[in-house]
Amino acid sequence: MLRGEHVMARLQRGRLVPHKLQPGDRHVREASERLIGLYAEHASARGTRARLEEEANLLEEELGPRLDVRRGFKIVRALAKLLEERARWAPPTEVDPYTMRTRVFELAAALPELPAEGSLLEGNTREDVLLQVGRETGVEDPSSLMYADRQGAQVLSEFEVPTPEELVGRYNVAQVQGVLYGARGLTVDLGPGSDARLVFHYVKLLGLIYAVEPTRKGHRLRLDGPLSLFGGTRKYGLRLAKLIPGLLLTEPWELHADVQWKGREASLELSSETPGLRSHYSGPAGPSPEGEGDVRGAFEKAWARAKDTGGWELGEGPGILALPPLKTALVPDFTLREAGTGREAHLEILGFWSEKHLIERVALVREAAKRGHKVLVAVPESLGSSPEALRDATEGEVVPFKSRLDVKSVLAALET
Amino acid sequence: MVCVGRGQFSGEDHPFLGYAPYVIELSYDSGTLLAKVPHGSPPPPEPFVWDARTAQWRAPAGAYRDVILGLKASEIPYTDRAASFEKLRLESRVAMEPRPYQREALGAWRRGTPELRGVVVLPTGAGKTAVAVSAMEKLGRSTLVVVPTLALLKQWYSILQDSFGHAVSVGLLGGGYHEVTPLTVTTYDSAYIHAERYGDRFGLVVYDEVHHLPAEKYAVVPKMLLAPYALGLTATPERPDGGHGLLPELVGPVVYRLSPEDLAGTYLAPFETVRIPIQLTAQERVDYSVADAVYKDFLQKHRISVRSPEDWQRFIMVASTSHSGGREALLAARRRQELRANAERKGATLERLLKEHWSDRTIVFTKSVEEVYALSERFLIPGITYETPARERKEILDRFRIGRYRAIVASDVLNEGVDVPEANVAVILAGSASRREYVQRLGRVLRPREGKKATLYELVTEDTGEEAVSRRRTEPYAANNVGSAT
Repeated sequence: MLRGEHVMARLQRGRLVPHKLQPGDRHVREASERLIGLYAEHASARGTRARLEEEANLLEEELGPRLDVRRGFKIVRALAKLLEERARWAPPTEVDPYTMRTRVFELAAALPELPAEGSLLEGNTREDVLLQVGRETGVEDPSSLMYADRQGAQVLSEFEVPTPEELVGRYNVAQVQGVLYGARGLTVDLGPGSDARLVFHYVKLLGLIYAVEPTRKGHRLRLDGPLSLFGGTRKYGLRLAKLIPGLLLTEPWELHADVQWKGREASLELSSETPGLRSHYSGPAGPSPEGEGDVRGAFEKAWARAKDTGGWELGEGPGILALPPLKTALVPDFTLREAGTGREAHLEILGFWSEKHLIERVALVREAAKRGHKVLVAVPESLGSSPEALRDATEGEVVPFKSRLDVKSVLAALET
Repeated sequence: MVCVGRGQFSGEDHPFLGYAPYVIELSYDSGTLLAKVPHGSPPPPEPFVWDARTAQWRAPAGAYRDVILGLKASEIPYTDRAASFEKLRLESRVAMEPRPYQREALGAWRRGTPELRGVVVLPTGAGKTAVAVSAMEKLGRSTLVVVPTLALLKQWYSILQDSFGHAVSVGLLGGGYHEVTPLTVTTYDSAYIHAERYGDRFGLVVYDEVHHLPAEKYAVVPKMLLAPYALGLTATPERPDGGHGLLPELVGPVVYRLSPEDLAGTYLAPFETVRIPIQLTAQERVDYSVADAVYKDFLQKHRISVRSPEDWQRFIMVASTSHSGGREALLAARRRQELRANAERKGATLERLLKEHWSDRTIVFTKSVEEVYALSERFLIPGITYETPARERKEILDRFRIGRYRAIVASDVLNEGVDVPEANVAVILAGSASRREYVQRLGRVLRPREGKKATLYELVTEDTGEEAVSRRRTEPYAANNVGSAT
């Protein structure tokens, strides 16, 4: 993420256009390559932070004007800030600088006179103090390591090298995020086929509050925070910004935000079609969605082949079952309908679970039950903790399965 | 007298003794207060509003005090699951005989309207912190202290550790620390971000330098805190943007006010200012005039006059984008500044002063963090900057107080009310032209101490801009008879 002062955007008839770099541009390529090179070299040489900053400043003066006459230096700084997020720093020495300097100060303060560089008459008392501490710690020049724990003295120990394209991609998303720092709320229209479950995963993670309504093509989410109720606040802007990389993992969607930009009201419009935006997230931890997709597809086939489905029909999922007090929602995969009675139940198939995850999921199922929705959760036994944990956690709201979810066990659960 | 410590706001249940038609259940949710009423009951009173997003009754957490008082007044029974602040047994182990005006200030705060909410205005050096420590002691509730800078964060940590550390562990939130305890110090910035997570845990909130609070961003902090009690401290509540008008709503009204003139002579130690002009060496003077000429030519050519930090920014911008002479002008400007700050004679003069005052307690102030570390390495005296970890900072100041360290060198971190009571000599190496800063720095050495006369040295390079800066700093003060300038 960028600092506020790195954020740049153009205001066009009330609409904000966040600053964007073209990865194909010669100067952009040069700047990102040089900066990445600087960090990579520093990492292999274990260079200090102070030195890196100095050299980054020089690069700023050199590359900045070529990128953009006025704002080039800002762009270079922003790129460096994004590289900084991929860097790990370590202390330069084994000796604890704090212990060492404290010893130096104590010895010096005990002297009857200020430890000066010395003259013939006084002797070099400063040197005496340093020599003594050097002997005690085994350090050759204590004065040079007295403040080795300062940030500037840290050395670059690890650097995750991005490609220039990755860096520029991150930059473009970070500028959009930066514009959202000043947002009071966010409206997201999720289109057909978008992964609402994924979106709610991030909404809940960020502690945002949502309101959901169906639209012609899907769902509209309005996102803000608890205090937004009492008049718009920009307090949640940072969190709304953090949603963007998560949102970019799915499509299609459109987004609208009212933003305060340099003291003026403006708006930001964005969609999954906006070119040049790519997420740097890899999605929530867990198995690949393809794995889950296989189980779902296999279940659909098994259902189609089953001789007896007890009068139940399998259909597409209901979309979003909103559970607002829990700040999240359920997005079941299928809806089962009993032709005779019109009874309805929803089925969600999990690909992976932990005990905590499952307990949370069951809380959602119970909350949904209060709202009149029967939801079954199917979980693979092999991909979680022990079967006992599973039983303890769930009391029958969960349908366990081995490698395939079979129709009989789902039908059995429907009757409980 | 107000009854403190009787559990007026204490997270207990208050069942209605007679016929209870319904009970309101209060809980805390991310900076807001939720009220749950049984199905079919009348809605909870104002300021609760219906939140259709989550189907709950919601109010800002800051409304907690009024909500409780309102429910009590209208005898509506309620269960309080919101407040989770504790009663603390806070007894300061630092023996402190409060000065009469400190006692008055505390009394005014306790008896104010509303009670136990309000702003105390005392000049720098008059011991605002002591008022807050007594308030915490008397009230005995989990307390959050909100401060504007990391330096003050560390300073308050140190004071609270000294006063109550034997009984309660002191927490820090901000500046790389994230440890929340019933007695926690945080910054306005961290409070803005984190208050909603911890806003149910504190009964009292102390806002140091409370004139920062009405800023648009920070004004949301009290909204997220349940704390029924609030104390604001400052030397100057007024804000140029008129924001102080919000203080009564955010913390409470000004309940006590004293100006520096009210205290001069009686409580502030007499002091003496000594201005030492520093001349550049011959070589430095030549270098300086060359750099100065290049810089000034550029300014003239581009019709820039540098009077404020914004002007300076403009100069940087023009110079870094100009094709002819921009780079040279930038380098010259940098060289000029370096020469001014690092004049060789300045270092030598400081050495003389430190020698002369080796048996005193001396604080050296400089503007640049790098210079602090350079001087610390040169004279082997401890340095304090905003980077110094809280515990080390406390250790250095403690040792300085008891005389184990004779001198320390500090960057601007010792501004804004940071107190070093035992210092009797201060040396300003390079300062900025703000009068406020100057006054507050003076406050540092002006701590009353038996028979103490403080000396303030100011080292100013001649023939350079620093002289003007120094004049600007002293002039508005000339009419004031607090000090005697030489």
